[in-house]
Amino acid sequence: MMQIRRDQYQLLKLGFIKPALIKSVFIALFLPLMITACGDSANNQIHNKINYTKNYPSNNGGTLIDAMTGEPSGLIAMIAGESAASAIAGNIFNSLLKYDKNLELTGELVESWEVSNNQKTITFHLKPNLKWADKQPLTSDDVLFTWQKVTDEKTRTPYSSDYKLVTKAEAPDVNTFRVTYAAPYAPALDTWAGLHILPKHLLKDQDINTTAFARNPVGSHYYKLEKWKSGQFLKLTRNENATQGQAKIYNLLSRIIPDKAAQFLELSADNIDSMGLNPIQYARIFPSRPDLNKNIALYKELGNSYTYLGFNLKRKPFDDIRVRQAINYAINKQEIIDGVLLGLGEPVASPYKPGTRWSNPELKPYPYNPNKAKALLKAAGYEDHDGDGILDKDGKPFTFEILTNQNKEREMTGVLIQRRLNEIGIKANIRVLEWASFLGRFIKPKEFDVVVLGWSLSLDPDQYSIWHSSQQAPGQFNFISYSNPRVDKLLEAGRLELNSDKRMKIYHEFSKILLEDSPIVFLSAGYGLTAIHKRVRGISNPAPPAGIGYNTYDWYIPSAYARNEISEY
Amino acid sequence: MKKLFANPLVLVGFTIIVSILLLAITAPLIAPYDPNAIDVKAILLSPSSQHLMGTDGLGRDVFSRMLYGARISLMVGFVAVGIATAIGIALGAIAGFYRGWVDTLIMRTVDVMLSIPTFFLILAVIAFLTPSIWNIMIVIGLTSWMGVTRLVRAEFLSLRNREFVLAAQVLGAKDNRLIFTHLLSNSLTPIIVSSILGIASAVLVESGLSFLGLGVQAPQASWGNILTDGKEYIQFAWWLSLFPGLAILITVLGYNLLGDGLREAYNPRSSQH
Amino acid sequence: MFKYLVKRIFWMLPLLIGISLISFFIMHLAPGDITTSEASFNPKASEESRQKLRELYSLDKPVIVQYGLWMKRMATLDFGTSFASHQRPVLWQTKDKDGNITLGMIQEALPITLLINVLSLILIIGVALPLGVISALNQNQLTDRCITVFVFIGFAIPGFWLALMLMYWTGVQHAWLPISGLQSIGHENMSWLAQAIDVLRHLALPVFISGITGLAGISLFVRNGMLEVLHQDYITTARSKGLNENRVIYGHALRNALLPLITIFGLSIPGLIGGSVIAESIFAIPGMGKLFYDAVLMRDFPVIMGILTIGAVLTLIGNLLADIAYAWADPRVRRGVVQ
Repeated sequence: MMQIRRDQYQLLKLGFIKPALIKSVFIALFLPLMITACGDSANNQIHNKINYTKNYPSNNGGTLIDAMTGEPSGLIAMIAGESAASAIAGNIFNSLLKYDKNLELTGELVESWEVSNNQKTITFHLKPNLKWADKQPLTSDDVLFTWQKVTDEKTRTPYSSDYKLVTKAEAPDVNTFRVTYAAPYAPALDTWAGLHILPKHLLKDQDINTTAFARNPVGSHYYKLEKWKSGQFLKLTRNENATQGQAKIYNLLSRIIPDKAAQFLELSADNIDSMGLNPIQYARIFPSRPDLNKNIALYKELGNSYTYLGFNLKRKPFDDIRVRQAINYAINKQEIIDGVLLGLGEPVASPYKPGTRWSNPELKPYPYNPNKAKALLKAAGYEDHDGDGILDKDGKPFTFEILTNQNKEREMTGVLIQRRLNEIGIKANIRVLEWASFLGRFIKPKEFDVVVLGWSLSLDPDQYSIWHSSQQAPGQFNFISYSNPRVDKLLEAGRLELNSDKRMKIYHEFSKILLEDSPIVFLSAGYGLTAIHKRVRGISNPAPPAGIGYNTYDWYIPSAYARNEISEY
Repeated sequence: MKKLFANPLVLVGFTIIVSILLLAITAPLIAPYDPNAIDVKAILLSPSSQHLMGTDGLGRDVFSRMLYGARISLMVGFVAVGIATAIGIALGAIAGFYRGWVDTLIMRTVDVMLSIPTFFLILAVIAFLTPSIWNIMIVIGLTSWMGVTRLVRAEFLSLRNREFVLAAQVLGAKDNRLIFTHLLSNSLTPIIVSSILGIASAVLVESGLSFLGLGVQAPQASWGNILTDGKEYIQFAWWLSLFPGLAILITVLGYNLLGDGLREAYNPRSSQH
Repeated sequence: MFKYLVKRIFWMLPLLIGISLISFFIMHLAPGDITTSEASFNPKASEESRQKLRELYSLDKPVIVQYGLWMKRMATLDFGTSFASHQRPVLWQTKDKDGNITLGMIQEALPITLLINVLSLILIIGVALPLGVISALNQNQLTDRCITVFVFIGFAIPGFWLALMLMYWTGVQHAWLPISGLQSIGHENMSWLAQAIDVLRHLALPVFISGITGLAGISLFVRNGMLEVLHQDYITTARSKGLNENRVIYGHALRNALLPLITIFGLSIPGLIGGSVIAESIFAIPGMGKLFYDAVLMRDFPVIMGILTIGAVLTLIGNLLADIAYAWADPRVRRGVVQ
């Protein structure tokens, strides 16, 4: 039996008292939380029992909650520029034109427009009796003012170049706005579908770069900004004076949640209604989780961008068309779609959305044909002369670096490409770079071999800034240094031709040459994948060419399904 | 030594460290698959006899990636701490031995570096340079030398007035000999303790950087980036989160137990009942 | 004492300049600036407009000139406006001619980070202190070993991993706590008390995650401090005097062991304002960490410099206060016996 000394005993006694102290500290800190937490648990259980499949007729009201990873820097889209800003500002402001569900241009603020015979002047006729959210009339003066602002040297906007092509802009009467260009400019109408019209009466004395209006805007579209809590959320509420009619859902709440994993958890806990998904969540997680499927519906639509492998045409051997085509044949594009996008995408053969008029239906992407690839490379002088498994020419092995930025899907694409190239004897190394480094150290000075990047599938077919030989200066977008005089002519002609059918022929021809030349390898166009809670009704499924978001004003939340809200109208 | 291993926690820590090191070293021998072998037909499979720890979003075997990831994570730890310790010893020795304005200069620099929140500094520098293994190791090393410097300096300050040092000086020993043979060798233990704890920190910092996208880059595997890749599927592909998370936890725990035990054992001031 | 204070304050200015110099040049190590973000790599945004932006922000001037411009502004305590956030003031709110107030970025982010860090500090002290004391009192026995392992696990666990698991368990599987964010949706309409509870519920997980890593350090520190003190002669003296054991432990030992803790607090001041980037990102908390991270990615130089400067100032002040507090609390120093 151990002898315990007196002081040890004293210490042991104290040792037993202390745990009690700790327990009481914990309880004091967490008890209030537990109490309030239990209340919430009950609410959640009610929600879990609701059946969201009953049909309800449309009604007004409710709040739609979605999540954003980034926060807008301001709501004046011409200055802010980032996608979060355009997304929210797009609910607040109108443009002259918009794209309808089939991606055809139609009027938003405008009821009709004419193009003059010499194709240089466009006259827009605004709808009558338009109002701003503060009930002031919306007239052509506001349109003129907006144009003046976007072309003003002092305005810090990167988007002025298209609007500067207008040599004369006038507002002859309150409902007419006329612009004249120096030469016919076919993409013009598209530019007027992208310019948010700003209120002259509120901005005429303001410095548009620093005005408080950017954080407290007044617009004319379905919604107006009710509250913006920095870093937390933006709340939009219905604008009774909206130019396009009334939206059904009263409030749009965009919560700022930077981490996608946290967003998914919030969606699972029914704290947000809508979220963009990645292919794995769409195709693997949802199908295996009946609890998620019960309350959340999935939507897919053709996306807005395509991924490509771009060659630096100023570097050997990428100036040899046989090498480029060989690499094109060596890459298995369906494998990339299946592996990276889990099948949720389509191959493309031109920079246009499949199914739209600009996409040439005769063109097909290069099929996967490694033998043809090897034959082309052989013709270009590349063979495995030294038996090391790598092709070589003039004693130099065929090896290069594929650069891409920090984007999971692009990295995976790069790895798949690397593997296929390896099979035909090309040794490719992948390097992932942070964006600004990438741009500044590699793209601008054209210090790269090959890149995996993406471009958007633009709604207007004009591709001048990407493919024209005059756009190769550092900082411009033809950084792969593509130069083809036939293509140059087509691109120039396409800008001047306002007749849609003739324009279509021009761009079909352009796409055909581009595919033959293969300055880039078109890899894939991924689908846009969205998860939206089943309480939101009125969503078009399957999605029309414009995507499911074209008619958010028609979506509704049946009152039976609306969340409990502390504040209500 | 006996005192050291009398502490069961030290034994545990030591075992953990040795095991992980063995696994890392023998990775090429025991890994069943090539860690970078993509298999688009095997995406996100749960653990099975074919894939002990399941597969990731590209069909790569997680167990193999974990083994190779051990190499990377440990290498980051060792090299970063190596750099920090080297700088720390050099600066601390100079400051503690020569004192005077050199000392003030070095200590003021330490103060300046400590005034900037470390993680911010690492973040900024990595974001500005390209995130590669070497940059990460160098940057972690360059931002953690301050502690070692203070430590070495304190040891030198307390040791330099001890009798054996004065004796050596009287005997005409040159500065170099004094520093290396006498002072440094007697300061070794706190330096070793600091290094061991530093390795643990470095592993954690790398995983944090991976979460922010600034850690070891694809296609190289590190525990941090396996964990980050799986974070969006935490409810579904639990294996992508559990194994790397546990690995980091156990490794860092092991190093901390050993380092702390070492400090305890060699601390002349903590006597036992 | 006074001379010491003056000397310390005198040293602060060159230190600040040194810090700002280092920070400024590190920033310009990087290629790219606000005009080269991914968003601006858009064929609709012309190169000349980007060049114009660069000129407006003085980004085309040599680095030393930019530093000079920044110093000039700082001399009047003007922290400037953000490049990325539409000219929002970096530090404090501004009022324009119509009376509209635009809040400063640091002004909005700092209180949130301070709140989390203070709460987490309270948590750490509340738990680490007793744990350290118990450890010391039960040196090398099972209790001590268990506590050591427990706190080390807290330190070793990758924060974001634990965060996600807890978010899933407490937020999705059971609706005990909110998952992310700072406030619930109807927050403004709640009573004062309900608002406070709402914020606390949102901060529960972030504070826990922030605190659990600091637990190890502090509890070990307290333990070792206690041990060192407990074996000193004056403790044996006190005991042999027949003093009550409680008085010995708390009255004498603990008080003396805690003195160095003050220095620890001084040293953790930069941590106070440097919010955890990871925790804030996962929990969607708009604090200083997230502000800094976003600014770094966007190359928003005024914000980066503003945060680093504030951090440096607070650190220097914190260190000074800690030294003063220590000097005051330790009677030996106060009486000038030991330098």
